[in-house]
Parts: sequence; structure tokens; C-alpha cells
Amino acid sequence: MNKNITNKVLLSALTVGISISVTQAQAADSVFVGHLADMSGPTAFVGKPYADGVRDSLAYINANGGIKGTKLEFETIDYAYKVPQAIASYKKWKSRKKMVAMQGWGTADTEALISFVARDKTPVFSASYSGHLTDPTGKNPHTKKPAPYNFFYGASYSDSCRGLVQWAYKDWKTKNKNRQPKFTHIGANHPFPNAPKAACAEYAKELGFKVMPPVVISMKPGDFKAQCLSLKSSGSNYGYIGNLGGSVLSLVKSCNTVGTNIQFMSNIWGGDKKVFEAAGEGIRDYIFPTMTPFWGDQAPGMNLVREISKMSDKSGKKERVHHYMRGVCSTFFMKEAMEWAKDNGGITGANVKKGMYAHTNWVPKGLEGVCLSANWSNDDHRGVNQVNVYKGNYNDGDVKIEQVSQVTLKRRDDWLGY
Amino acid sequence: MSSLTMRPCGDFRTSYKQDNTIFETKTIRWVAILSIIALCFAPLIVDGYFITLLIQISYLGIAALGLNILVGYTGQISLGHGAFFGFGAFASAWLSTSLQIPVFLSIPLAGFFTMGVGMMFGMPAARIKGLYLAIATLAAQFIIEDFFARADWFSGGSAGSMAEPLTLFGFAFDTDQSFYYVALFALVFMFIWGCNLMRSRDGRAFIAVRDHYLSAEIMGVSLNKYRLLSFGISSFYAGIGGALYAHYLGYVSAEGFTIFMSIQFLAMIIIGGLGSIKGTLMGVIFMVFLPEALEGIVGIMKMTDWGNIPMVVDGLAYIKEMAIGLVIIGFLIFEPEGLSHRWTQIKNYWKFYPFAY
Repeated sequence: MNKNITNKVLLSALTVGISISVTQAQAADSVFVGHLADMSGPTAFVGKPYADGVRDSLAYINANGGIKGTKLEFETIDYAYKVPQAIASYKKWKSRKKMVAMQGWGTADTEALISFVARDKTPVFSASYSGHLTDPTGKNPHTKKPAPYNFFYGASYSDSCRGLVQWAYKDWKTKNKNRQPKFTHIGANHPFPNAPKAACAEYAKELGFKVMPPVVISMKPGDFKAQCLSLKSSGSNYGYIGNLGGSVLSLVKSCNTVGTNIQFMSNIWGGDKKVFEAAGEGIRDYIFPTMTPFWGDQAPGMNLVREISKMSDKSGKKERVHHYMRGVCSTFFMKEAMEWAKDNGGITGANVKKGMYAHTNWVPKGLEGVCLSANWSNDDHRGVNQVNVYKGNYNDGDVKIEQVSQVTLKRRDDWLGY
Repeated sequence: MSSLTMRPCGDFRTSYKQDNTIFETKTIRWVAILSIIALCFAPLIVDGYFITLLIQISYLGIAALGLNILVGYTGQISLGHGAFFGFGAFASAWLSTSLQIPVFLSIPLAGFFTMGVGMMFGMPAARIKGLYLAIATLAAQFIIEDFFARADWFSGGSAGSMAEPLTLFGFAFDTDQSFYYVALFALVFMFIWGCNLMRSRDGRAFIAVRDHYLSAEIMGVSLNKYRLLSFGISSFYAGIGGALYAHYLGYVSAEGFTIFMSIQFLAMIIIGGLGSIKGTLMGVIFMVFLPEALEGIVGIMKMTDWGNIPMVVDGLAYIKEMAIGLVIIGFLIFEPEGLSHRWTQIKNYWKFYPFAY
């Protein structure tokens, strides 16, 4: 009987817990921005620093006058990369907080919400850089689903890969080899690594590469020696890595053991100081793209970034990876679009979208040298068409990162949304 | 599970009609009907957030009921239910966009497609049982998941595929409030169907296969037929659930239908109660509301001064993830027969109050 009562108490406690729902009172002059982040799920490795960038920026904007006096209310929800949680959070914000814009995260949540945000006219600033998000009107027949309310700061996965391939071709020529270079896509068979696969291979072929069959490695870290051996035997010269985090570490380590002679080029999430420090010896001339400078760089806008960083790290000593800066840029572009919206009819989702088209060669105020200049237009959401190509070296623990090239891609019509 | 087939003493049924009834008593019947009517008015009372959760409960509930028919009633096991759910989603999206079949037809058709796939992967069940069967169905999970990523013609590959909203006589169910009625109708329909199935000859055969397959065979129940049929029905339910999910979101991506989803379906029916139809619904409601309730608690913490610092908020995010695991362990230890058993006990307690024996 006693056990029964304890159980009942436990059960009723649970019921009470479930029935609790939070409704916060809205401040008089404020707008709400939702922030979806993955801090404990499979992409947390890079999701955490990016989310910190967004969160610190939102807090900083609030602490410094908001959107021309309008307070920015925001909530960060760690949805652990689970689609149902992302949808539920979105709906909650939409129905209870009158959300005007959202800072999103990865492929999973961004793609699940495409239809909803277009219908609800809520601009989403994602960290999913899939090429198909860049065609807002469906101009390119390739585009299956136009994504009119999706924005992101940076070059798309396809464009970054194109930029890297362009660099690779020049690199090959300077090495003065007469053979035809070989290019391989390396990544898991998942939407995120696959996003640039076809587009990039097409461009590599156009440039004169021989495109080898893609090599599949899992998103989860593992022993990839077999895959490295097949890269070795195929004699591939350039390999594009579509994965991130632990999987990249395993690949680099495995290939180092096997002795694969391949030039790795990774996507934007696959290269940062943390990866290089952890991967160790295998990092030799590791090529990766960035859209921002690094923490130690001396750019005029870095002063503002350091101030923003103090929002969550009062000492100001914490070193941030470059994903953090992208989060800052994404938030500040949104902020300025909101400011434009406030002057032009009020901060609503539709006006914020219009605000994204109001500027040309646009760099948010105070972030000069941090965010690349961007141009969004109502039929082309390729905000940034520039790729900074960097090289990382492990150097026995003294990680060295240097810029090797800056590639500007043409805004080709057949590349829109692809 | 023994209590499911054995009736408590004093529960006499004197006619076939009594034995076959869907609702045990008149009161239960009226409560069920009234609560469905009340649910019809939900969009007028609760906000969009709750409607989303109710829609989630509907499509997940339909799929979970399928799994419960397979695991709880027939005693088989499947670790590929998430993939079947995804197959239904893609199949319906593919049928409606590529073959121009109206969505209200493509949803049931997707169910039948998934049924075919499920029966194909259920074939090993004729030969193997238990853990071995679990691993065989695990293979289905990986094969189908990989198929989604590669079959561009079917699923759109890595780009995913879009699913049009359901339209009926020119009316598009493209808002949450309108789609809610579609989801509610499907939920009620599929659950009544499930109840009906369980009081039919086939339903009794499933239970016989589960409880003692040797005796069942001696009595003339074809084991292969019913094991396969159970896989088929279970996948049919998964397919319908998946198709609803696809047309609700309007977009299907290959990323979501992982082994984790399959495990979550299993967790739902274990928490709700294996071999119980109402338990399935309880388990689904529990699993949908749990993360939201935990999020609510994190939200309350954020409102306090000491709670709204990144360290606390991030820490709570981890605790939230762990809590779901903890609850499952807790259920397995303290209430292995699930919420439906607990519900029966609560009911009995009040029925005999204050003279409980």
C-alpha cells in the first residue's frame, strides 16, 4: 500500500509538471526573436560556439538600445537536433510570442520549417547553408521548393565547395603537373554532406578535374582506414570533406596512419582550431573556407566582437572559434534589417524580409572586416559570393592558420538554388 | 502481460455481444464519444502550440499503435519502425507530386506501399524470433534509411521532397487548425480500426501467437501467415502516420527517420503499456509532453535572476536530455506494464473506495 501511495505521488507530480506551461508577459515595446540551437545533440560540436555567437549578440543588442529603442525579447531552445522539438518550439513562439524572426540552426530544423516560415512570413536566419535555400522565387528549374523566407550569412555549401575547387585547380597548375587532377567527395550519405555533392562535382568536371566516385564515411567517428586506403589506391589528389567534428578527426587520423597522399578540403564546419588541435599530426596544409576572420586577427570589427563575447565571458579571455563570429554576423544582419523595418512600417516578418534587400554591399555597422559584404535581392538569396580559403597546419601543437586565397564566385543563373 | 488475457475474478460475460464490445461499459463509451466531441472544439480554446502537439500526438500515435499491434499483441519485435514511418512519408509525397494522385488517396495508398515493404522485411519472422528478429529488422532500418538518401527519383535524395497540403473539394487543409481535424479523424479512425481488429478472429490469432505459438499452431493458427500479417498491419499504420507527417510539414527530408525514432516508438509503447490500445495513446501523449514540460521548467528557471545565466541554462539542457532516459528506466523498474496498467489501478482504487481489498 505504501509503495502504491509513493507511486501515486510520483505520478501526480509528473502530471503537474506536464501541465505547467510558461507564458511570459510581453514588454510594452518589444519584438520576439526565437533561437533554435543544438547544444547537446549530434551537431553540438559546432552548434555550441555558433549558438553562443547568436545568443551573446542578441544580449548585446538588448544591452545597447535594442532595435532603435525596441527591446529584443529572445529565447534560446536547445532542440538537440530533433525535428519534432524544433517544430513545437517554432509553433510555441509563433502562437504565444508573436515571433517576427528566428535564428535557426541546422539542416534538419531549417528544412522541416521551410513551408511554415513561408506561410507565416517569418524570416529565418539559419546556419544551414544548403544551396537550395538561395532561390526564393524558384527561378532555377532545379529548385523544387522555393524558400522565400530563408536567409543565411555566408556562401552556400555548393558555392564554398566551388570556391575550393577553383583554388584547387590553380594550386594544381602551379605545381605544374601535366596529369589530370582527380577530385573526390568524402562524406556521409546524409542531406548535410550531400548538399553540395552534385553541384560541386559538376563544376570540378567543368574545370577539368576527373571526378572520382564519392567515398562514404559515417557522420559518427570511427575507423576509416578502409576508406582511406581506397582514396590512396584511386590516386585522388583533392578530397572535399562534407562531414564535421569527430568524423573529420577520425578521417584525418586514419588517413595519416595509412599514408594517403591527398589534399583535404573541408566544408565550413569541418575546420576550426579545435579540430586541428584534436586531430594532431594529420593536419598538414588542411584547406578550409571561412566567412570571418579568426579570434586573434586584427580587424576593425573584432573590437565589437570582443565586446559581444564579454556578454557570456566577463573575463574576455575565452578564445572563440570562427563559427562564433558567423553567429554574430547572422544576428547583426538581422538586426539591421529590423532597424530598416522599424523605419519603414514597423517590425514585422514581411518588413524584415524587405529590409534584407534594402542595402547593397552591406556590412553591419561596427563589424567591418568581420562580416563579408553581402547582397541579398528578392530573387537571389546568395548573400555572400566570396570564399576565403585558409590553410591549417598542426606544427607539433603550435596550430598555424593562414589565408591562401580569396575566391569570388560569379552569380551564375544555373547556380542559383543549386 | 498475463493480465491482458486473463480477466479478473467476478468479471463475467454471459453473451457474445458482451464479449465482443469495444467499450467495456456504457460510461466508458460516453466518455470516449464526449471527449472526441470536446477535442473537435480544441482549436477554439487552445492556442497554436497545443494544436501542434495534438497533431504530433495523432501521427505518432497512429504509428505507435501499429508497433503495439506487432510487439504488444503478436509478440514480435521491430527496430525498423522509424524507417517504415519515413517510407510512408516519402511514398505519399512521391505519389502526390510525381503521379498527381490526390493527397486524400495518396495517404492510404502510402499505407499500402509501406505495408508491402514491411511484409518484405518481416519475412525473416517466419524463421527467427526474439533477439535475432530484432537484428533482422534493424537491417531494415539501415537499408531503408540509405535508400532514402540515394533514391533521387523517389525521395529527392539529399534535397528531400515536398508534399502538397491535403485538399478536399477545393478546401486546402494547410493551416494547423484545419489540419488538426484531418489528424484527429485519422487518429480516431485508426484507433477504432485497431480496437476492432483485436476483437476479430485475426486479432485473437495474434494474441495466440504471442502467448504460446506452439499451442496456436496446434489449434490451426498459421504462424507464418499471422506473423507476416502483423508486420504488414504494423507497417500500414506506420505508413499512414508518416504520410500525415509529410503533408503536415509540407516537406520531407531523409534526415529524420533514424534508429533513434524507432527506439522512441518502442519507448512510447513500453511506457504506455504493451498490448494495450489506450496505453499506446497514453504513452505517446507522455512522450510528446515530456520534453515540452521539461522545456517549460527550463523556461521557469530562465525567468529567475540566478537561473538566467548561460551556465545554468546549458546545464539544464543536458539534464533535459538525461531526464527522458531516466523516465524510461523508471518506468521499466516501477511500472513495467505501463501507464495503462497504472490507469486501471487508479480506476480500481476509486471504484472500491473506501473499502479496497
